[in-house]
Amino acid sequence: MSQEHTKSKVAVIGGGAWGIALGTAAQNTGSDVLVYSRRPGHVDAHGLRVTSSIADATAHARLLVLAVPSEHVRGIAREIGGLIDGRHAIVHGVRGLVGDGSESDELVPISAVLREETPTRRIGALGGPVLTHELAAGAPSIIVVASRYPDVIHVVRDAFGAPSLRIYATDDLTGLEWASALTGILAVAVGFARGVGLGAGLVSAFVTRAVHEAARIGHAAGAEERTFFGLSGFGDLLAAIAEESRPEVRLGESVARGGSVDDAIAGAGQRIEAIELAPRVAAFAKKHHVSAPIFTTIAHGIFARRPAAELVQDLMLGPITGPA
Amino acid sequence: MKAPIFQFNEQREELVQSVVDRVVAEARDPMLLLNDAAYHEIRRLESSHDRDELGRWRRIARSIGGLDASGAVELLRETVSYHARDVAGNFDRRVYTLASRVAPAGLSVLLSPHVVLERSILEVLQGEGLADRIWTSGPIERIRRLAEIGTLVYVPTHLSNLDSPVFAYALLSSRLPPVTYGAGKNLFTNPVLSFFMRNLGAYRVDRRLKHELYKQVLKTYSCMLIERGFHSLFFPGGTRSRSGGVERKLKLGLAGTGLEAFVRTRLPKRPVGAGAVSRQVFFVPATINYMLTLEAETLIDDHLKEAGKARYIIEDDESTRIGRITSLARKLMQMEGSCAVRFSDPVDCFGNVVDDEGRSYDRRGRRVDASTFVESIADGEVVMDAARDVQYTRELGDVVIDAYLRDTIAMPTHVVATAAFARLRAHARSSDDLFALVRRRDEVVVPYRELIAEIQSTQARLLELEKAEKIVLAPAVRGATAEELLRDAERALNGYHTSPVLRSRDSGVALLDPKVLLYYQNRLAAHGLAWAGGTSR
Repeated sequence: MSQEHTKSKVAVIGGGAWGIALGTAAQNTGSDVLVYSRRPGHVDAHGLRVTSSIADATAHARLLVLAVPSEHVRGIAREIGGLIDGRHAIVHGVRGLVGDGSESDELVPISAVLREETPTRRIGALGGPVLTHELAAGAPSIIVVASRYPDVIHVVRDAFGAPSLRIYATDDLTGLEWASALTGILAVAVGFARGVGLGAGLVSAFVTRAVHEAARIGHAAGAEERTFFGLSGFGDLLAAIAEESRPEVRLGESVARGGSVDDAIAGAGQRIEAIELAPRVAAFAKKHHVSAPIFTTIAHGIFARRPAAELVQDLMLGPITGPA
Repeated sequence: MKAPIFQFNEQREELVQSVVDRVVAEARDPMLLLNDAAYHEIRRLESSHDRDELGRWRRIARSIGGLDASGAVELLRETVSYHARDVAGNFDRRVYTLASRVAPAGLSVLLSPHVVLERSILEVLQGEGLADRIWTSGPIERIRRLAEIGTLVYVPTHLSNLDSPVFAYALLSSRLPPVTYGAGKNLFTNPVLSFFMRNLGAYRVDRRLKHELYKQVLKTYSCMLIERGFHSLFFPGGTRSRSGGVERKLKLGLAGTGLEAFVRTRLPKRPVGAGAVSRQVFFVPATINYMLTLEAETLIDDHLKEAGKARYIIEDDESTRIGRITSLARKLMQMEGSCAVRFSDPVDCFGNVVDDEGRSYDRRGRRVDASTFVESIADGEVVMDAARDVQYTRELGDVVIDAYLRDTIAMPTHVVATAAFARLRAHARSSDDLFALVRRRDEVVVPYRELIAEIQSTQARLLELEKAEKIVLAPAVRGATAEELLRDAERALNGYHTSPVLRSRDSGVALLDPKVLLYYQNRLAAHGLAWAGGTSR
């Protein structure tokens, strides 16, 4: 007996390259996709329908996929919040953490902002070693969806799952969000390490220790450490290392070669969240008594333009903590 | 006052039958459930003296293997019926009327059963006025209104076995309809308490039974009561707070049936359970606060026993000792505001605040329809989804926890214990851990002025917190001087607990029982006011 599969409906909020890639992936599986962009004229839509009305987007689908830079999340979420209710799910693909706006401005994941600014509880995030251009081109890829609500994972699988897109799931939403954000910072460091000409052995050691450190920091934020050692952490970072064109990696390389951070940002042509995030993560680690020499070095070394040899020495001579 | 519980007895038989029907209909693997029940029961009964019951379960265990599918369903039905009948409560309007007419005194009967044996019930009921001592506060008008348009699920903090009668009387004196609740079977051993609980809507929860089938029966019974509009009471802490601290983690297990009931009465095709009404379900967090806790010493002892490992069901504590109950009752009678129940703002099943008409609002104050939370993302139909609801319930738990903190009422005993314990720590060795601290019985004498200064500073911090709406001060704390607070606390603590806790001497105030001080200071630990080293298990 054949049963007609009802088309999933998806609204993508954000018409940047990442939003379009996600929209394309969903459309390729047969989902009915509508993309919201504030400037539809500037969107390279790849055949997707684009609207400039956020209300049209939220009316189009109960599954909303948010793909905007982290600094815009709160504003957009508040706008969406007035248009949706408890039946909607919001899944974001934002690699970043933001301040909670309190006096201490504690770092919180994007899901916390969505929880605060919208009525829905069914919130999730996308991450893992998926690359924008590969996803857009329909190349075989793997993506991770995280949500504490199994029905959110289910609709994401329905809307995006295809032979060319394999979807892994976790209920450790906090873990995936922190891993995605911290990986961005580590990608800069990897670019930097390469730029100053560190050997492959040392870069590998550095990456391994850095992921452990990220896991400790994430744990302090309520994440499960093991999430960092899987696709959302290690996997994502390996993709960053392999990907020459990743903006964070290029930024790191450029700084290592003596370029200024500002020039490097201008060269990347987009905002790189890692720059602002690194010192805040280092401060978070300090506040929560987590040993984080690598993140601290990145925050106060690379971006502060200390000589590379000094930074390497700092890390090489620091106390050895934890098992190998 | 209208409330479905007044018609409980007429529905009882049919309710029990519906519970049985649903549990049997929804059992995926009857054989597995029966085996699990038999395994757990035989294991439990082997160490008890109930040979008949053990024999019964052994026979069941032997017969399971030879059953075919229909035979298994039949045996399942029998077993479920047996448990459902054991759980089901009763509501006797005459008992309720009696209790409400003499409301101000009724509690003292519950508190001091021996008095009943000596004098006639009425004489006692008319004579004393303990319920006057229960100070109730919070958005009572709104809750009263919501009780008319929806079903209320009260989820208060849990400190003492007196909580359910105290809460029942707080409802009564606030002119809120009575509730049904599950009470530990061990409480039914006290004949008078049992008489009242049984006839005022309590159902029996046997905490010794660990098998899945029994849990299903309990959950279904509770869920069906809420579906039928019975206002319910659960203690989501699961057990009395051992440390004396406000609960920071909740097991919303049975209270979660509030959400299940909400979903079930909205399903497009309604399953078993004809008497259900599609109403809103509102959760009302509340705190029950005592100047003195009946079982303080036993509870803190249990708390201090190796963290988490040795937790057991306390069968024998102060609440089974009549002398202790009367002595507490006498103490509470002497003190103004010695017991306070504070209701928090009611929320829907998803933790959204609700207004007087039961409409829900999100954190930004925008109206939101509660039903939409249980609609499927895919097609917008209301669906049952246990995994989804576990998560909703967990988030509701976070909202309840926040409400507990905000609506904790700080009593003189808490404030003075906080200050005294802070001084104890200051006078102790810095290497002293929790256990070393509580062993310092009658070792530290704090100069009077020093203790007074500490009480003043605690009181000042409390006032600040209250201004930020993060705690509530009992009137006896807000307006009192530090000297008065110390006197009140000393008067309360000494003479009720088995040995004196604080004693003023010429050289200062002697801290005689650090353990009891720890217990009372723990109430303010989660607020950051008191030492937090003695609350985690």
